[in-house]
This record gives sequence, C-alpha cells and structure tokens, in this order.
Amino acid sequence: MPEFNVTAIIENKPGISDPEGETILNDLVLKSKNSSVKKIRSGKILRFTIVGSDIKSVEKKVEKICDELRIFNPLVSKITISANKC
Amino acid sequence: MSLQEHEIKHVKKIIGRKLTKTELEILAAEWSEHCSYKSSKIHLKMLPMTGKNVIVEKGYDSGVLDVGDGYVVTVHIESHNHPSAVEPFGGAGTGVGGVIRDILSAGTRPIAIFDGLRFGNIENDKHARWLFKNAVSGIANYGNCLGIPTIGGEVEFDDCYKNYALVDVAAIGFGKKTNLIKNHASVGDIVVLIGGSTGRDGIGGSQFASDSLETEDRSAIQIPDPFIEKLIIEAIIEARNEHCINAMKDLGGGGLSCAISETAESLGIGIELNVNDVHTRESGLFPHEIMISESQERMLVITNKKKLQKLKKICDKFRIRCSTIGHVTENKMMHVKDGQKTIAQLPAEFVARAPLLDRMKSKPKYLDHLKHEKKKKKILNYSDVILKLLSSPNIASKHWVFRQYDHEVGIRTVIKPGFDASVLRLDNDKFLSAKIDGNPKHCYIDPRNGAIGCFEEACRNIVCTGANPIGMVDHLQFGNPENPEIFWTFMESIEGLTEFAKFLRIPCVGGKVSFYNETPSGPIKPTPLIGVLGIMDEPLLPLPPTTGDYLVIIGETKNELGGSEYFEYIHKFIGGNCPIVNFKDSKINMLSVLSLIKNKLVKSVHDCSKGGFSIALSEISIFGKIGCDVNLDKIPTNDDIDYETLLFSESHSRYLLSVDKKNIEMLKQYLTKKKVQFGILGKFSGDQIKMRHNSKYISKYSVSIAQKKYFNALEDLLNHG
Repeated sequence: MPEFNVTAIIENKPGISDPEGETILNDLVLKSKNSSVKKIRSGKILRFTIVGSDIKSVEKKVEKICDELRIFNPLVSKITISANKC
Repeated sequence: MSLQEHEIKHVKKIIGRKLTKTELEILAAEWSEHCSYKSSKIHLKMLPMTGKNVIVEKGYDSGVLDVGDGYVVTVHIESHNHPSAVEPFGGAGTGVGGVIRDILSAGTRPIAIFDGLRFGNIENDKHARWLFKNAVSGIANYGNCLGIPTIGGEVEFDDCYKNYALVDVAAIGFGKKTNLIKNHASVGDIVVLIGGSTGRDGIGGSQFASDSLETEDRSAIQIPDPFIEKLIIEAIIEARNEHCINAMKDLGGGGLSCAISETAESLGIGIELNVNDVHTRESGLFPHEIMISESQERMLVITNKKKLQKLKKICDKFRIRCSTIGHVTENKMMHVKDGQKTIAQLPAEFVARAPLLDRMKSKPKYLDHLKHEKKKKKILNYSDVILKLLSSPNIASKHWVFRQYDHEVGIRTVIKPGFDASVLRLDNDKFLSAKIDGNPKHCYIDPRNGAIGCFEEACRNIVCTGANPIGMVDHLQFGNPENPEIFWTFMESIEGLTEFAKFLRIPCVGGKVSFYNETPSGPIKPTPLIGVLGIMDEPLLPLPPTTGDYLVIIGETKNELGGSEYFEYIHKFIGGNCPIVNFKDSKINMLSVLSLIKNKLVKSVHDCSKGGFSIALSEISIFGKIGCDVNLDKIPTNDDIDYETLLFSESHSRYLLSVDKKNIEMLKQYLTKKKVQFGILGKFSGDQIKMRHNSKYISKYSVSIAQKKYFNALEDLLNHG
C-alpha cells in the first residue's frame, strides 16, 4: 500500500479566544508598527507519514487517532486535515 | 435557558410588563442556581458567620479574618466542575483565576492556592485519567504563571464521578487592614471594566453549571490567560495603593449582569452602562451576549471622576485594557443601553435577589439498605492488605500532582504539601496553617456525620501543625436539588456543619454551593469540602522519629469501618457505620495536642484518617525512614472490636504522636490529668513496621517496600495505565 503525508492543523475554534495568538499580535507584531496585521491565530501542526489505500481513508484514520487519544479536544479546537501521496 | 414558572409570576408581579430580550437573558443568568443560590440561600443563614476575628463589609466576595498587628487574611473557595468535566485544562485553570480575583476584589494580594480534585476510577477508566492529568496541568499552568504557590489540596477517585470532575479551588489572600477596599460609591462615579476583552466564550456558563451534564455544552468553554490575570493583579494592587478604587467586583458566573446588579444592590445605588463601550474580542456580539458573557480575567471597578485618569494610566502601564462603561446613578436601577437605546432597565435589587425556594426534602431510600455490616471475607495476610492500601490511588502519595505545582514561589511556604496541613509565614511574624478536606464515602453513608467528619479532619490537620483553627469555608456539592432525596442530604450536611461550627466557635467566613452535579449515570455522592484556617506564633516543624522514640495515639478507635478505604477498596463494600465525631472528645483532644506542641513535648503529630491507624503509622515510618514495633492491644477503645477494625477504622479525633523518650513521662502525666484517651503503642526502631495483637505479630513489612508502594503507585498507574 502507498505511503501518504498527512498534515493535521489544530487550532482553537473561531469563537474561542487564543491568548497566544493575541500576545504575538499585540506584543510583537503591532509593536513593530505592522499595523496592517489585523489578527493572528496560533495552532499546532502534526505531520504524519502513514500507509493506507487512499487519501480519504488516511485522513479519516488521522482524525480518529487525534480524537480518540485526545490529541485535541473537539469542544475547544478544530482540526484541519489534508493528505497527499509521498 | 429560561425562567421557571414561579419566576415568570414574580416578574409579572413586580415589573408588570413584557421583558426585553436583554432583560430576559440578564435574569436567566442572574437567577440561575449558580449565581442566585436560590435553593440554598435561606438555609445558609444558619451557619455562624461572625466571630471576633471576622471582618464583615458589604460586597466582599471573600471572607476576611483579622490576624492581628494590622493585617488581614482573606479566603474563598469555589468550584469549576462543569467546565472542567468537558475541558479539564482550561476549566481547571479558569477556576483558579476566578477565585484569585475574588481574593483580589477585597484589596488583598493572593498568596496561596489549594485544589480539591475528584474524578472517576482512574484504575480502569481512561477518560478519568485524561481528565485528571489535564486538570492538574491546567492548575499548574495557571498558578505557576501567576507566581502564586499551590500549597495543598486533596485528590480522590470514586466511581460516582465517572465521566465527571470536581475541581474545587480555594485561595488565600493577605494584606494590611487599612488597604481593604471599603466598597462605596456616590452618584456620578465612573464604572470601569478592566482586563481581558469580552467574547462569546463562556456564554451561558452559569446556567450550564446549573444543569445536569447530560449533553456536552459547546458554548461555555473558557480559555485561561494567566498572564493577563497577573497584570490585572498588579494593576489593581497599584490602583488600590493610589486610592483609585471606590468599589470592586470580579466578573465570574453571569458576567456583567451579575457583577453590575450585585454591586448596585449591595451599595444601594443604580448603574447605567452602555454595552457599546465594553471592549470586545470579536465584532457582531449581540448586546445580551455582552451582558452575560463569562469571558475570563475581567474586573469591574467603580472610581470617581478625579481618579479616572490615574486609573487609566496604571492600566496603560500594565498594558491591560480599561473601558469606561457607565456611571453611578441615584435611582437604584440597572440601566443598560445600546448606544442611545435602552435595552434593559430593571431595579438592581430585583435582579440581584432571585425569588428563593424552600425545597422539599425526604430521607433517601438507599440509606435504609446500607447499614448492614458485611460479612467480611477472611483476610490471610494483613501486611499485603496494608501495602495494597498504601498503593491505592486514594491513599498513595500525591507528589505526582503537587510536584507540578510551584509551592514555594513567594517564599512564604514553611511546611510544604504532602504532610498534614501546609504552613505559610505572614509578615507579622505569625504563621498561617490551612487545609481542605472532604470525604464523599463517609458523606454518602451518613451525610450529617460525614460532613462533620470532614470539618473535624480539616481542623485536626491544622492542629497537627500547632495552629488554632480561626475560620472555615465550606463548599457544598450535591446533585439535583429538585430531587427531595438529594436536598435532604444537603440539609443534613449543612445542619451538621452548623452544629459543629457553633460548638467549636469557628465562624464560616465563606463558601459556595454547587448543585446539579450529575452525570448520565446519576448524581454524585454528597461532597461537602471544608477548608479551615489556623493561626499560630510558631509552627511545629516535624522532626522524623529516631530509634527509641515512642509512638503514642490520642483518641478512641471505634467500630467505624463504614465508608473506609478498607471496606470500599479492599472489600468493594459500601455501607457500615460511618465514623461519628464526639464533640467533647474532639475539643479535648485538639486542645491537648496543641498544648503538647506548645510545651515542646512531641517531635511530630500526624492525624489518623483515610485508611485508618495502619496507614497513618505507615506514613510516619515512610517519611521518617524508620521501622516501628507496635502493640495494637494498647489502642484505646471502648467497643469490643477485632484487630481488623483497630487497623482500618477511620474514627475521628485521633492523632499519632512521636515522642522523645525523655518526654514520655511528662506527656503521660499531662494526658492522664486531662483525662484524654491515649495509648503508648511502642517504639521506633529497625527497618520493619510490625504490629502485634495478643503477643502475636499479625503484620510485618519493610519500610522500604512500603515507601516504594506509597510513592510510586500513582505515577505508575498514570504512566502505564
């Protein structure tokens, strides 16, 4: 079976605050006079290399792993998963 | 989210018109059980709340105790159960933040945090382990970032908390009496909102906390930001020093609705505010959302026109937002505007005082089936049982938990967590001892005596450090109060606590009631949690026993194995006789131990509680790294009880003392004179813990094995499942 690269981005849901992003915006970016920047959201990214039959199934598998092992809490964070063939 | 029928009638009667959307949302938030205490308020009055050290001022969210020399200590306890059950890291962290701001709002600096944590059975429940690990990380993250030491607490696991979490946080503050905020306001004063921005997070949180946790609510999640909280603390303290604060309240459950209405009601003023002036995190918030948002790290301050610029300057210095959102009026109304448009206008007193309820109560049926003593299976090897108990999650050392907390920052901590009570050094050369205790297993079997027992245990722990208890806080956590059987358990607990507090003359200076702690599998066991503060001139810094020192027990051991770890963990049996505190003995024993400590006749004192005598003895040997040879026949008892009960009964009012041989005669004379029940059980020596009954050793195990079990069990369980 082929190998895939799967990227999982985990970030707080849009309505939920993100102190890290806000701090980077207010205390770093805006202080350096980059006034065109309006918003920064922080998150974490995980890259999986995984064997599977097709893109859809490996994406599903990664999402299941992240959910079941509580790598993210679906109540707080959203996960965005994208895969491509190695 | 809606008002109940009797509340709708009340609105009709008093207001006599249709409420606006915003008014309805404000009332729904403020009249939730969480904010209004509508089921409990009429009963809470029974607790003794005054005393010679208690300072009462209007509008305080925390209890204030005078500790002499012009200094005060403040204390408060709260829980964050529902949020922690769905997002343990953020829920536990924001729980710490909330209680810290209650301390701050009296004008005192927070100096210590305590946490009482309860989860399902972590031995077989992966979800409970996830909740536990993340709640501990959340507390550690928040407290450590703030630079406030987390100096104690307790952790317990029980099947009744399956898929749920109880996260209780107590905080202590310290300051000069002259710096206390004397909440007051005059017409024309300015209302300011300081701190984090208002967003959609936490909307409906207080109602969420007043519902059973049957569906996971998604909107009530709050994200902790300890760095903003730290800045708020420093800004508020500076503003206090510059006399910029007339009155202050933290924003907790119910958000602005609650803070505005309660401040106006307690000060007898009106407040007019404009939601457009509130600094928000996102655009498109509805006015009612701004009013009930429970976004964290916000404080409401009332200042006067002259001081406003100074206050703004201080906020700028600490880089925190500060919005002028309204002003004080004469008419005692809570008037909310959206630009020019009035969107809510209600009497503050009407909003702040929900119609109270006198709920039905009836004795739960389960209690009738409990009392029978189980025919125990014959235990062949008591050493194995004791070692098994030592490594059980409820008894094993919790250092995995508290080593994640910075418990020394602030350099006040004299006795660190892990022993009986923790001790803090105060600026007036006195020492403060504090402890929180709960025991749902006892409270399930007998809510009244269980609650009294928790109170006594917390007092005992304070006494073990040499301090005199001066005040208590209670946190009463139960299931759905609309169920008369659950309400009966609440009433029993509060009546018991009142009786014992009056007897000991310890005032209740604060507390919280948390109802609706239910999961799909049913209500939690009654879980009152009691925090006690003690004060002393000099703490007993415990010395480890050395060869030849005596082991002495004070207090009577009774046939009280009900709710014990021995029954529940070893025999999986729920029932039996719950330990009952004998008030007179309790007081005599406390005073005697304090006197022995004062006269330097003891090297260390340890309270005898969870797991019973065998566990308390093992703990002394484990910490002292020394064995002990004990004669169980010398343990004072009036009941005809077997040695199994002597080993594991969790009877109250008992203390284990280690005594240097040169002091043993004086100690004996003193205790005989005071007619205290005591027994000299044996001597410390060697590397084995040995217990004799009728001249025959019934248990013998090495200190090093006990040590390994006690210290490694919890971590092994968490690392290897």
